[in-house]
Amino acid sequence: MSSLSRLLKSKKCVSNYGQQIRVFSAQASPNGNDVEMDDEEFRVLNLRASNQKQLARREFKKPEVMPPRSLKMATDQDWTAVWPGPRSFHPASVPLPIRQGFTVKGAAPPSKYANAELMKIPNFLHLTPPAIKQQCEAIKKFCTPWPKGLETEEKWKRLFPVDVVSTDYCQALPTIRNPDARRVTITLKLSELKFDDHAKDKFLRLVGDRYDSETDILTIVADRCPLRKQNYDYAMYLLTACYHESFITEPWEESKSEADMENYKYERNKSKLSVEQILNWGNADSSDKREASTGYIESLENLVNGGENEYSLNKYKEEVIKMIGLRQ
Amino acid sequence: MSALQKLSSSLLKESIANAKCAAALIHTTSVCEKTQSGRYRITTKRNKPLTYEMANPPHYIAHRKSWNSWNTSTMLDGLRPSQTAIEDLFIRKFINGTWHSLVCSEVIIKRQHNMIRIAAIMRQAISARKMYFLIGYTEELLSYWMQCPVTLELQTVQDKNDVVFKYI
Repeated sequence: MSSLSRLLKSKKCVSNYGQQIRVFSAQASPNGNDVEMDDEEFRVLNLRASNQKQLARREFKKPEVMPPRSLKMATDQDWTAVWPGPRSFHPASVPLPIRQGFTVKGAAPPSKYANAELMKIPNFLHLTPPAIKQQCEAIKKFCTPWPKGLETEEKWKRLFPVDVVSTDYCQALPTIRNPDARRVTITLKLSELKFDDHAKDKFLRLVGDRYDSETDILTIVADRCPLRKQNYDYAMYLLTACYHESFITEPWEESKSEADMENYKYERNKSKLSVEQILNWGNADSSDKREASTGYIESLENLVNGGENEYSLNKYKEEVIKMIGLRQ
Repeated sequence: MSALQKLSSSLLKESIANAKCAAALIHTTSVCEKTQSGRYRITTKRNKPLTYEMANPPHYIAHRKSWNSWNTSTMLDGLRPSQTAIEDLFIRKFINGTWHSLVCSEVIIKRQHNMIRIAAIMRQAISARKMYFLIGYTEELLSYWMQCPVTLELQTVQDKNDVVFKYI
């Protein structure tokens, strides 16, 4: 049977029709046919493949890697050329035996090679003192001298009484805009501005709680406009407008009576009349009229404005006795 | 009596229907406080390699290990935190796919101003020429997508066992 299948595969048999008939006969093939087949050897499929030659696999050659250049570095090299800008840590470029990491007690921390922790933390290898000195030297030509007459804080505070505070934001974003950068704060010591009594009173009423009476500092915060410049302009406008408005006396302000006053003032009160009447008792001469002493006026105003306490009462008593000339 | 029972049962049903939503809110099972993320199971043969990053669970961040993303979005009142997180995720996926089976560590993404610096430890399994090509390819594509300059700062190791910190 195996010979039959072999014959079928053979091209020669297919081409020779006369032989093909013989193939299907049950008789054994004649000897002459076998002799003919010996000329061509059949390929035999060997399933075991025991004697098959092992193909030599191509050896994978690892590419040659240069040794870390930190081994070749000179001790007096220019470090700013090795590490010119901010960069993640690289062990082959840094000739320092650095280690980082937490290990079990007694064991050394992981070395700098293949240490991801060292790559994570920000390093300042580009900001060594010589590098900073170099950069300072480089930008020195853009600097201008400090203006004369502004050497001390006292001097420039006097010449520039208004402080303008705004914030710039450095952020790790594709945009440099930050909406909080629009906020502008203006601070000013109120003693820098010149007021009369009415104007000061009105100004303080206009600014409300923007004025801190303890430090005498006025603070104006502007953040309603989208840009910083606009907010600055607005804050300066507010300051100017409030200042000039405080000097205007409206007609309805005249109707303010003594009961509306927020402070007791000796000068405009009836007590002034009473005190002078007592002091000038029996003195008909209008040319030499006695007036209350300044100590008495101060103590009286303190007593009424600051409230009654032991100190102010005693002070008032002393001043009254002194003014009228009674013996203790 | 039976009529009363019927009445009461119908009333009961009604009251249960009314109280159903309130009753469903009461949770009686014990609280499951198991935290699994970033932690690895010990194998029986104790032959599972862990890097330093993997060996320290997340609660050691800022104590034994530091963050993989450095930016100002995660700070208080930081701007566009969600976009930054999504971009970082995309960068990590892109790097891991482009440098397939070469990345031995976590991908560290540091942002300064509009600059993105990406650091990672790679295996020296491909030739230097291919590596340079991949660096340029990654930087070019990422900077096109992120619309800002991207720098790759790689460190290479000979073998992936170099980054192994311990076996569990």
